[in-house]
Amino acid sequence: MIRPVMNTTVWFWAIMLAAGTVVACGAGAWAYQLWYGIGVSGKRWPSFWALYLTNFVFWIGISHAGTLISAILRLVNAGWRRPVTRVAEVITVFALMIGAMFPIIHLGRPWLAFWLFPYPSDREIWPNFRSPLAWDFFAINTYLTGSVLFLLLPMIPDFALIRDKATGWRKKVYGSLALGWRGTTKQWNRLESAMQIMAIAILPVAVSVHTIVSFDFSMANVPMWHSTIFGPYFVAGAIFSGIAALIIAMAALRKALHLEQYLLPLHFENLGKLLLLMSILWGYFVFNERLTVWYGNEHHEMAVFWATQRGEYAPFYWTMVICNFVLPIALLSNPYTRNIIGCVVASLGVVVGMWLERFLIVVPSLSYKALPYSWGTYTPTPVELMIMAATFAAMILLYALFAKLVPIIAIWEMKAGDFVQAPRSGVGAGDPHRIAAAAEPSSPGAAS
Amino acid sequence: MKGIYGLYADPGLAQQAVNNLRAAGVADADITVLSSEPFEHLEFGHRDAKTAMPWIATAAGAIGLVLTYYLLGASQRSWPLITSGMPIVPLWTNLIIIFEMTMLSAIIATVITLIVTAFIGDRGKLYDPEISDGYILVGVENPVDASKLEPALAIDGGRVKRA
Amino acid sequence: MAYRWGMAVDIDKCTGCEACVVACHAENNIPTVSAQQASRGRAMHWIRVERYYEGNFPDVKVKFRPVLCQQCDNAPCEAVCPTYAAHHNEDGLNAQVYNRCIGTRYCANACTYNVRFFNFFNPEWPKPLHLQLNPDVSVREVGVMEKCTFCVQRIKAAKTAAKAENKTVADGTLQPACAQACPTSAIVFGDLNDPNSRVARLATSPRGSKLLEDLGAEPKITYLAKQPWHEQDSY
Repeated sequence: MIRPVMNTTVWFWAIMLAAGTVVACGAGAWAYQLWYGIGVSGKRWPSFWALYLTNFVFWIGISHAGTLISAILRLVNAGWRRPVTRVAEVITVFALMIGAMFPIIHLGRPWLAFWLFPYPSDREIWPNFRSPLAWDFFAINTYLTGSVLFLLLPMIPDFALIRDKATGWRKKVYGSLALGWRGTTKQWNRLESAMQIMAIAILPVAVSVHTIVSFDFSMANVPMWHSTIFGPYFVAGAIFSGIAALIIAMAALRKALHLEQYLLPLHFENLGKLLLLMSILWGYFVFNERLTVWYGNEHHEMAVFWATQRGEYAPFYWTMVICNFVLPIALLSNPYTRNIIGCVVASLGVVVGMWLERFLIVVPSLSYKALPYSWGTYTPTPVELMIMAATFAAMILLYALFAKLVPIIAIWEMKAGDFVQAPRSGVGAGDPHRIAAAAEPSSPGAAS
Repeated sequence: MKGIYGLYADPGLAQQAVNNLRAAGVADADITVLSSEPFEHLEFGHRDAKTAMPWIATAAGAIGLVLTYYLLGASQRSWPLITSGMPIVPLWTNLIIIFEMTMLSAIIATVITLIVTAFIGDRGKLYDPEISDGYILVGVENPVDASKLEPALAIDGGRVKRA
Repeated sequence: MAYRWGMAVDIDKCTGCEACVVACHAENNIPTVSAQQASRGRAMHWIRVERYYEGNFPDVKVKFRPVLCQQCDNAPCEAVCPTYAAHHNEDGLNAQVYNRCIGTRYCANACTYNVRFFNFFNPEWPKPLHLQLNPDVSVREVGVMEKCTFCVQRIKAAKTAAKAENKTVADGTLQPACAQACPTSAIVFGDLNDPNSRVARLATSPRGSKLLEDLGAEPKITYLAKQPWHEQDSY
């Protein structure tokens, strides 16, 4: 498992180069926008929010893959989580960083973004804490801080392991990263306690983050935004897209780093079931949202409703329904297609579908606000599409870099879960019987 | 002479070594056990398990809550600006920020506690890189008489080393 | 007693000539945009004349409605601003502080009337318009939201002048550019706190209604129009 950390392959450099090029192009596009103004994007009166905010919501949603799922599985002590947690937590950290970039890219004067920080300044004015954007600032920073720590703490024992195995500069670097970890019982117990507390604290924070992101929309009196369902609807959608991203990342890592003996069909099967559940839940929320609007028949809302159902946004809407509901249910409810390929195909569909869902929340409502005179249609420009493509490339870049520098599977967790055998026992690593046993909550002391 | 220790591949043997050391009159606090994974199902894995960490986190959360409540109110009153007919200090919206800061305080306090107790507070020097191969180290630092402890650590399947 | 500026717009008097739009552009240094940018939704008109058509060609009735910032009492645009660029001032106006604005554009989304405008680029004026900028009004840079201020520079000047004489601003002496330019006097401006002002009397007229009143933003502009149920009455 530490092989990728020790050796560098040609493929790694190829990915770095390809993704790096796209990211550089995106940075260029952003520089162009900074120089000329937001006018180079497709935003207009009345669609003042569009692709950037779509991507903001999308990436913050993807970030719910990791810490949230990993915290739940840690608290219920699901043994099969062990190879999955770090893969998932890394997605959270990077997706959050990318997602949090978008409100800044989107600003008219991004060089003044620091005015959102609550700090005493000679302007003598504080941020307006009544604004959902100020809530976003606090929620995202809390979640990012918590997620980074949640990811970093269990990495310390693995840094110590690399320190012992490596030579040369790697020994020095990882030695200092290990913070003098020796593995005393006290250190293990404190680490476990800290992780338990963090898991408990981060769960409500994760739920609050996407609820507050939904508040950005539901607080405004805009047709089909001003809805009480938005909080849970966004959180469910976030977990949905997060699991899909996790499955895709796991499949990619499994192929690229040859982790076939750690990331087993069992993991895809379990996560596939979770994805199926979230797909049904998502369908339930969309049905609720649509039915109440249609039945209420309020004319401002009906303009948006029909634009998405039959009008210019209908192709996106029905693609979303197929990607988020029809495809996952067809593939994942059948045990024969609930294999790795089936899960990955369904997940790709869900990622596309959830992006479209965010787009359909942000854009049509603004195009069809209350006064028909001010209706207008938004079309994205190449600058926006380039920046969007760059964030996907940035995700691949950061992820590949991370998997290169840090063991992507928590080695000590695997040992503790009996996935990897210490010299004491002859049972082969990844033995299916051992894993099935590990899935049971076997150690009563663990939850203390 | 820093200490004497045994290396064991089997956690059961390590437990036996810990018991032997105790029988030889070594105080529990003087026994060092190092491993590359946590052992929750064995007795030695529960040494030092008691911690005030949850209480520290709760207290820090409470402090964060109160502090944020007052800071928000103070900053809003310092230059009162009316928006959308809302009160100057609206509790509804402030609750959201108070919640986030409460959680952030608890998380940061937990990590600080971890660093102080587990890393800064770790004064031991005994170590062997073979731990990373899966061996469990049981030993005593600066023993009064190392030769007296050697029989306690010498168990079949283990190796005794001096550092 | 504090002022509470309000407006009444008589739709029956509006001819749709858009003199108010031109006057507003001249008074408030509102940049002009190219035809191409205007087609992309970047035109900025703090006041616009909305046209609605009733019936089918050739039997068409056109209705005009000048729409500007409604200076709502419960303005949805204000609370969503994270930097207090949009806030309520002591005269009940929705003030917009350009220097505080970082361009989140949230206020424009929250505004039900779509009367807030964004500087997508740095402002430009085709020659010779650049020579007639109003020195009393600041020019807004790229990335900043702007909107109708009820000609706050004129309000300030009138209040200062009245205060120097120890009086209050007399009804009818103060007009924003749009009201001043209206050839049919369809736009009436004044202090709603003064029960004898023209605007205060018009605000309680049975011909009056508020734009999107049911959304609860409590706008301060009253639209006056002959209602069908007024046929027999003599208002």
